[in-house]
Amino acid sequence: MNGLGNVFNLLAYAAAAVFILGFLYKVIVYFKTPSPLNIPTTPGPKTSGGVVMRLIPEILFFRSLLKGGAAEKILWFGGWVFHVCFLLIVLRHLRYFTYPVPGFVMSFQQIGIWAGLIFPLALLILIVRRFTNDRLATISLFADYFVLLLIIGIGLTGILLKYFMRTSLVEVKAFILGLVTFSPAPMPDSTMFTIHFLLVLVLLVYFPFSKLMHAWGVLVAPTRAQADNPREVRHMTPWA
Amino acid sequence: MADFKTPELTGAVTTPKITPGASRHIKQFIAKPELMEKVGFPPQKASDWKEQFIRKMGEVLKKYKSVKVFLDICVRCGACTDKCHYYLGTGDPRNMPVYRQELMRTVYRKYFTTGGKLFGGLAAAREISDELLDEWWVYFYQCSECRRCSVYCPYGIDTAEITMAAREIMDSIGMGSKYNLEIVHKAETIGNNLGMNPDALKSTWEFVEEEIEEKTGVRAKLPVDVEGADVLLATPSADFFAEPHIYSLEGYAKVFHQAGISWTLSTHASEGGNFGMFIGNYNHMKTINKRIWDAARDLKVKRVIAGECGHAWRAMYAFSNTLNGPFDFLQHKSPQHICEFTLDLIKKGALKLDKSANDEFTVTYHDSCNVARASSMGNTPGDQFTIPRELINAVCNKFVEMDPNTTGERTFCCGGGGGVLTDEVVEIRVKGAMPRMQEYKKIKDSHGANFFALICAICKAQFTKVFPYYGIEMEEVGGVHQLISNALVMGAKEGV
Amino acid sequence: MPTLEFEGKTYEVDEEGYLMDWSQWNEGLAGVMAKEDGLELTEAHWDVIRFLREYFEKYQIAPMIKILTKELAKKYGKEKGNTKYLYELYPAGPAKQACRYAGLPKPTGCV
Repeated sequence: MNGLGNVFNLLAYAAAAVFILGFLYKVIVYFKTPSPLNIPTTPGPKTSGGVVMRLIPEILFFRSLLKGGAAEKILWFGGWVFHVCFLLIVLRHLRYFTYPVPGFVMSFQQIGIWAGLIFPLALLILIVRRFTNDRLATISLFADYFVLLLIIGIGLTGILLKYFMRTSLVEVKAFILGLVTFSPAPMPDSTMFTIHFLLVLVLLVYFPFSKLMHAWGVLVAPTRAQADNPREVRHMTPWA
Repeated sequence: MADFKTPELTGAVTTPKITPGASRHIKQFIAKPELMEKVGFPPQKASDWKEQFIRKMGEVLKKYKSVKVFLDICVRCGACTDKCHYYLGTGDPRNMPVYRQELMRTVYRKYFTTGGKLFGGLAAAREISDELLDEWWVYFYQCSECRRCSVYCPYGIDTAEITMAAREIMDSIGMGSKYNLEIVHKAETIGNNLGMNPDALKSTWEFVEEEIEEKTGVRAKLPVDVEGADVLLATPSADFFAEPHIYSLEGYAKVFHQAGISWTLSTHASEGGNFGMFIGNYNHMKTINKRIWDAARDLKVKRVIAGECGHAWRAMYAFSNTLNGPFDFLQHKSPQHICEFTLDLIKKGALKLDKSANDEFTVTYHDSCNVARASSMGNTPGDQFTIPRELINAVCNKFVEMDPNTTGERTFCCGGGGGVLTDEVVEIRVKGAMPRMQEYKKIKDSHGANFFALICAICKAQFTKVFPYYGIEMEEVGGVHQLISNALVMGAKEGV
Repeated sequence: MPTLEFEGKTYEVDEEGYLMDWSQWNEGLAGVMAKEDGLELTEAHWDVIRFLREYFEKYQIAPMIKILTKELAKKYGKEKGNTKYLYELYPAGPAKQACRYAGLPKPTGCV
């Protein structure tokens, strides 16, 4: 199993590298691309402190979505629940990445499990609305279904691993810790775990090249991240 | 009037069924080669236009963070799909903001993303083609750059930025809008969108003076090129030509006169508007904007005030400091809006007002998109909504509000903004006005509204044109300073 | 380039039928354009056209609508010296239809 273990180890490192470097590359590109004009959507805050206060509810509560109608309320519910569950699940999974496991990670175990169960349902809302609403059906692309199905796949294999096709947690932890500490350990002997793990790698590789970059974009989109201060500050960029 | 059906006013804005291609036939005229060359663009499409197109797109992606980020991060959540007045009025899916943007995003994927280069059609990437370009031409000129979609987008994605970039790319390959470029050319060479030379301006302004005198017995001057005046007024040239625009011009003149403020118009900077913005061209925007500051410098004024014009206010408030600032030579270092200025005078008690002069009117106020979502007034965010309303309430007894879902930052575009205000596309203008017309009709029926107050020259021209299509008298369209003009008691000099 | 034929001569017009060269204009052309629109040109119509041309010769631009209506008021009295009456004469809009008949270029801008 060690040889195969090495292949997975290599894949994991490759995927992590693509994710980190790809993400950083995008962050740098966004940072370096100038915004020649002051274009906040108004009314907007007049100071950078105000911008932070504008962005926090956007990030934590998807505030602008709440301005919409019934369709956006459903979207908001599905999307918000999905993102929160995702976060809780990631926090719960930190127990596989750490030794000794920090206390706060342990405190997320139970809620993380619930999140894992709700997670596919939230994603189901997001996917069903794509083909039941004629506007959504028109704008949806293969990529939109792909990423939803990918994440549903990750969620379902996770549930299967937890409840139906249990694998040795000791082996899983040894494998993941091995990755984290650069001392590769063998892949656990579980097909379901292998699938779960590979799907996560696909997600990592896909992330920086896809719309998932909204995770960073929400922070830097000039319509929200700029202060409405043209009277106080002369907004300047290199090329203009 | 034309070979299309004006939407019915049912009293509610409903989301239409998707009708692919419903407005595919509505196209602006393409500028002739001579005009293109006059404004510094290639005369027409060359044989290698596709390479030029992609090259320009690459350049835009490097120059504008908005375009780059927005093209990357849209998740197609659909929150914008029913927010655009053109979609609501036509049902054409390409008028859903995200699907309009898709016209650019698909090309972006093909030439600028790994996924698109590797997987092509599977990644929804398309090569640029004559057919796709024609769709660009149609639908990027069916966007009024009003930013309503941006308000509802979880990331603030603003289709206006994409539209401006698209128009810039099309211009750069020799495909420009006749309407927009004629105006850019006139603004840069003659000094205003209409193309009025100094003699025409002077005679018109004199005429307006006579009008005021005839109506009030007081000759409120419209001073021309007065060196050393305190205020330079830069207002849309439509104020010198069209109705109801001219009544607001009378209003400004009367306000200045009554408050005893020395002011001037400029024959050099006889335009507040800036169509360089609509076509997304930085240099044209700068050139047009520069005239105002050159005039301010030459005339040694203390401050610059913008008249009633939405996009002019955006260009002046949000962009001019970047384009042609800093304005250290002025006492007031940033341009002011006439509404801020007048309200300030009223609060100081500098104007004597007789509200009853507007008693025949039940007034409602339409927030213009560029004032509402692309600029501000006063000191606190949102003052761009309260200041005009305070003004109206100061001069009218009967003021009513339309549905709050359609005012303030959520206001609907008039349907003619962003360089769409041209006759060959009147069908999209009429249909795009539908959401606003529904709300106006509703408030007419419920509260007897009969005066539709505006602070935008494009809104005024657009609604004057489309009201009759909906069976409403065009005389109901008017300016905020028109109402002020009505209520202002002339002669009795009190206050300052 | 679209054209307009009249008495054996060809005139260049733009996409909307405005004469490309205003100096080529003659009264007959106005008649042809009006006929295409199914409009009968009365003396009042002609007054508008003549005034537009005079003004344009002086200022290279069409006059403000208000100036035009005032001119009408001088001759026909207050009840006809208004925008409404102008629209009765020229249903497609005084600036746009009357200017076209008078051979003037179309007014541009936010109008």
